[in-house]
Amino acid sequence: MIYDDEMETLPREALEALQLKRLQNTVERVYNLVPFYRRKFEEAKVKPEDIKSLDDLKRLPFTTKQDLRDNYPFGLFTIPLEQVVRVHASSGTTGKPTVVGYSKRDVDVWSDLMARSLAATGVTKGDIIQNAYGYGLFTGGLGVHYGGERLGATVIPISGGNTKKQIMIMKDFGSTVLTATPSYTLYLAETMKEMGIKREELKLKVGILGAEPWSDEMRKAIEEKLGIDALDIYGLSEIMGPGVAIECIEAKNGLHIWEDAFIPEIIDPETGEVLPDGEEGELVITTILKEAIPLIRYRTRDITRIIKEPCKCGRTHRRIERIKGRTDDMLIIRGVNIFPSQIESLLMETEGVEPHYQIIVDRVNNLDTMEIIVEVSENIFSDEIKHLQKLKERIEKDIKDLYGITVKVTLSEPKTLQRFEGKAKRVIDKRKI
Amino acid sequence: MKRIRQISVFVENRPGRLLEVVDLLGKNGINIKALSLADSSDFGIVRLVVKGVDDAIKVLKENGFTVRETPIIACMIEDKPGSLAKILKTLAENEINIEYMYGFASPIEGKAVMVFKFSETEKAQEILDKHNIKMLTQEEIREI
Repeated sequence: MIYDDEMETLPREALEALQLKRLQNTVERVYNLVPFYRRKFEEAKVKPEDIKSLDDLKRLPFTTKQDLRDNYPFGLFTIPLEQVVRVHASSGTTGKPTVVGYSKRDVDVWSDLMARSLAATGVTKGDIIQNAYGYGLFTGGLGVHYGGERLGATVIPISGGNTKKQIMIMKDFGSTVLTATPSYTLYLAETMKEMGIKREELKLKVGILGAEPWSDEMRKAIEEKLGIDALDIYGLSEIMGPGVAIECIEAKNGLHIWEDAFIPEIIDPETGEVLPDGEEGELVITTILKEAIPLIRYRTRDITRIIKEPCKCGRTHRRIERIKGRTDDMLIIRGVNIFPSQIESLLMETEGVEPHYQIIVDRVNNLDTMEIIVEVSENIFSDEIKHLQKLKERIEKDIKDLYGITVKVTLSEPKTLQRFEGKAKRVIDKRKI
Repeated sequence: MKRIRQISVFVENRPGRLLEVVDLLGKNGINIKALSLADSSDFGIVRLVVKGVDDAIKVLKENGFTVRETPIIACMIEDKPGSLAKILKTLAENEINIEYMYGFASPIEGKAVMVFKFSETEKAQEILDKHNIKMLTQEEIREI
């Protein structure tokens, strides 16, 4: 179903004209209101009036996650805090998160785009959405929530975890839509099996899954186990949250990115050069409807390509392919973004721990697991087991408190960790996605 | 000071690790007087009383082991039924907590030696002194 028929099927020419107008407004806005952008534009010798066509976008400088950190917490906002109605954040390298704000209109636009996204997967106001994305600073929970309400569907704000209760509610309330990470969805399916609940006992028909990389193989497994259509959703808090792009149920092939709100580009991550449609590279997004914190050419670090061929669903907004990976070392563990450097700084802050560690990521029973192997140096070694156990538990707790993920810390003998070219290989990702 | 030097070695919980420690000491002519192994699910601590502490530490470190020296108390008791219970009763009555303890391999005819790590070493030593329980010095350990 198409939620906003006029906008979603707007002929390309009209859509691009609208994009240019909104881009010009955004560029003008950030240039005048955010000292950071004015400085960056001046360094790049470009002024708002130089943006005469969409092609001129490439003259503008990139914005990175580091820029958000450097301007922590509110430095890139274009409006005073009294006009900001919501903030969200994602975890940052040194414990400082990346903060984004929303004006009343931003929340409104987000709700609309999310409603569009839900509708594109076949959801209607008659549906019951079991929203298993986390509520909180993470955008997943509230993003889906507002979109579901905007569409007029019934939203169950159950958030993540508590799997058996999830299944009970899913069965008793007759949930028809599940929004969750794909790995959690598989875990739910396994738990259902253990509980002896058959998929026929549920009314579930569609899963809208995202916040972590997954594959078509995983899609097949989920669809078979639950008897549903599993669709991919894309978003990131810096740009808005969930609902930046969505797979339509008609084609189930690539995600429509809402081009009346975002301009996607694919660049060569090494040179920064813009690549033509169809070529694989890093996705860069410019927001053209945001008020509180518009971002110009934000480097998502996600690898994909743009599919320019028209989609059979009739939407004119171009599609991006399923995200293939990252250009940096960011790990996505059960939907939580985490950089190895975050683990490293936490270990360094733990008294006596030397920077000899290794992170092992795996997927066991469809759930991501993270193990941190820490070499025991003389500084932390004790003749008593309980002291070493305490150290181990403290690291586990610190990571849980700071990043919200459960990890297993294993103590190892010094120099047992593999070292390559004199440098330890920090991360071993055994997941087969 | 009636303390003796114990060496603690960190080992991963996998087959052959204890053998490597013991083998290394044997090859270097270091005699093990007492040994205990504490374990958790994925690592263990080997605690050793040896003849030639400095050499033992050197050779273990050279071979990449994490080693720590801890002062502990060694008590000589009668090698007969009830003598360990007697000592433990004295300690319990005085609220001395034992972190860990283990015994020596056949030291002297008619005698047994137990080593203790207390949470409050000073206080424990006072109590043991008061009850005339014989504590060994590092020199005495070398002799037995």
